[in-house]
Amino acid sequence: MSILLQALLNGVMNGALIAVPAIGFTAIFAVLRYPNFAIAAYATIGAFAAWWVNVHFGAGILPALLVAFAIAGCIGVGAEETALKQLRGAGALTVAIGSIALNTVLENVVRLFFGNDLRGYDLPLVPDWRFMGLRVGPQQLQSLAFAVVIMAAVFAFLRYTRFGKAMRAVADNSDLARLKGIEPAHVAVMTIFLGAGLAGVGGVLIGLDASIDPLLGFRVLLTVFAAAVLGGLGSIPGAVVGALAIGIAEECALLVAPASYRSAVGFAAILLVLTVRPRGFFGERAN
Amino acid sequence: MSLLLAKDVVAGYGAAEQILKGASIHVEAGEIVTVIGPNGAGKSTLLKVIAGLVPAREGSILLDDEDVTRFGAVDRTRTGISFVPQERNVFGNLTIAENLEISAYRDGGEASRRIEELYERYPMLAGKRRDLARTLSGGQRQILAMAMGLMTAPKLLLLDEPTAGLSPRAADELFDAIVALNRGGLPILMVEQHAVEALAISARGYVLVSGKESAEGPGPQLAADPEIRRLFLGG
Ligand SMILES: Nc1ncnc2c1ncn2[C@@H]1O[C@H](COP(=O)(O)OP(=O)(O)OP(=O)(O)O)[C@@H](O)[C@H]1O
Ligand SMILES: [Mg+2]
Repeated sequence: MSILLQALLNGVMNGALIAVPAIGFTAIFAVLRYPNFAIAAYATIGAFAAWWVNVHFGAGILPALLVAFAIAGCIGVGAEETALKQLRGAGALTVAIGSIALNTVLENVVRLFFGNDLRGYDLPLVPDWRFMGLRVGPQQLQSLAFAVVIMAAVFAFLRYTRFGKAMRAVADNSDLARLKGIEPAHVAVMTIFLGAGLAGVGGVLIGLDASIDPLLGFRVLLTVFAAAVLGGLGSIPGAVVGALAIGIAEECALLVAPASYRSAVGFAAILLVLTVRPRGFFGERAN
Repeated sequence: MSLLLAKDVVAGYGAAEQILKGASIHVEAGEIVTVIGPNGAGKSTLLKVIAGLVPAREGSILLDDEDVTRFGAVDRTRTGISFVPQERNVFGNLTIAENLEISAYRDGGEASRRIEELYERYPMLAGKRRDLARTLSGGQRQILAMAMGLMTAPKLLLLDEPTAGLSPRAADELFDAIVALNRGGLPILMVEQHAVEALAISARGYVLVSGKESAEGPGPQLAADPEIRRLFLGG
């Protein structure tokens, strides 16, 4: 029983971390209508940016997260404007493939600057807490809290700000948005900034949990993608629910199968969704 | 000087053939003008060209004597043109209140006052302000779409088949709403399939056939023309 509870707990914690880049991924899909796999590199870039200000300037987690958001967001916008934008006319599949190439390029740029070594944030080690047979790290709890606050901030932004509403309007119907005086191209730039920035923040939270290296983002890409597909591509609440579901499923899979099968959960989830319910939990329609 | 003058407009989609082949229409201050015509004649395309969604390859669009031919859709909204498309004319995943608010994106300062005015004019919208727009019935959705079109305080309202898919009763109510708006001084250019009812409330009408206007006249007179009745009005 407590094994199951522990798996559930770990699943929720991991899922919440995955939810942050998954929101970024699905937001970009909602507005620009293509899956941007370069968010893996944006997550890695965010993790390294935060590491850099943490180790060299002694920045705490909160300022490091803000730096990660800003740098990943700016690099995301720069890469989009110089590379992916030119491909948009050729259709979503072309942009998606372009984003995979872009991801490889960015990943290797990170490698060029930082090498392949594993690095860790310069933070005090705190022993795990134990209660009622469950084990939980204070660092994990803090990351969970950050993830929850970030998600709440994204929801508030979309619900209450003029720009958030414009983003939802463009995602809903970009022709009509244009008729209402909203320039979809401007909204697209802001969405890339937000999406890449969230991926960067997610990268930090994931790196805090373990260590960081140039493949950090790539390792979670499948899980992030699966979470977004499961929730319904383009649905932000869907990305959160999808990430929690995948997080819990991965931990439960560990109970019955070797750890090397963990990534099979993501594949299985994608396959299952595509065959049973292509629009996921909250998606509007399959396309 | 006409409020709107579209002159010899040629337009189409992509590399495909021309849909509009030199169409000319005008709207004067205070008028309701209705365009009727067979399916595929290019009626919606004409409204889209006037709204700036489809570029005119030839010809010109003048609003209040200002040449807006080269303006894109976003800039046309600023000049005072408001277009309510035939389909997908509300944001289904936004609430009624959000739909109205976002429709005044460019002059948000005025938004809350105009929203209150529209709630007074259309109490149904006020009652459902927190509901998602996709939960509205067809008639309610058209009212919302029209209200959204009014949020920019336009000089000219373009309506593409506002009564399409509505029950006869809902269609009558919508025509009443259109007349009421026009009585307040708002010029309206609309495309309609319910030709008799639409022409009856129109100062003038056009018949558009294969991308060109083939007849023009006072609304009631067009509606009474035996040839037009035979071709378009089913009798
Ligand atoms: N987005 C588009 N791309 C390509 N062709 C289009 C597009 N929209 C319309 N057309 C074509 O242009 C022609 C005119 O279409 P339009 O919608 O203007 O006709 P309409 O008079 O409004 O017809 P209806 O009464 O059916 O609404 C049609 O042959 C249509 O197939
Ligand atoms: Mg039409």
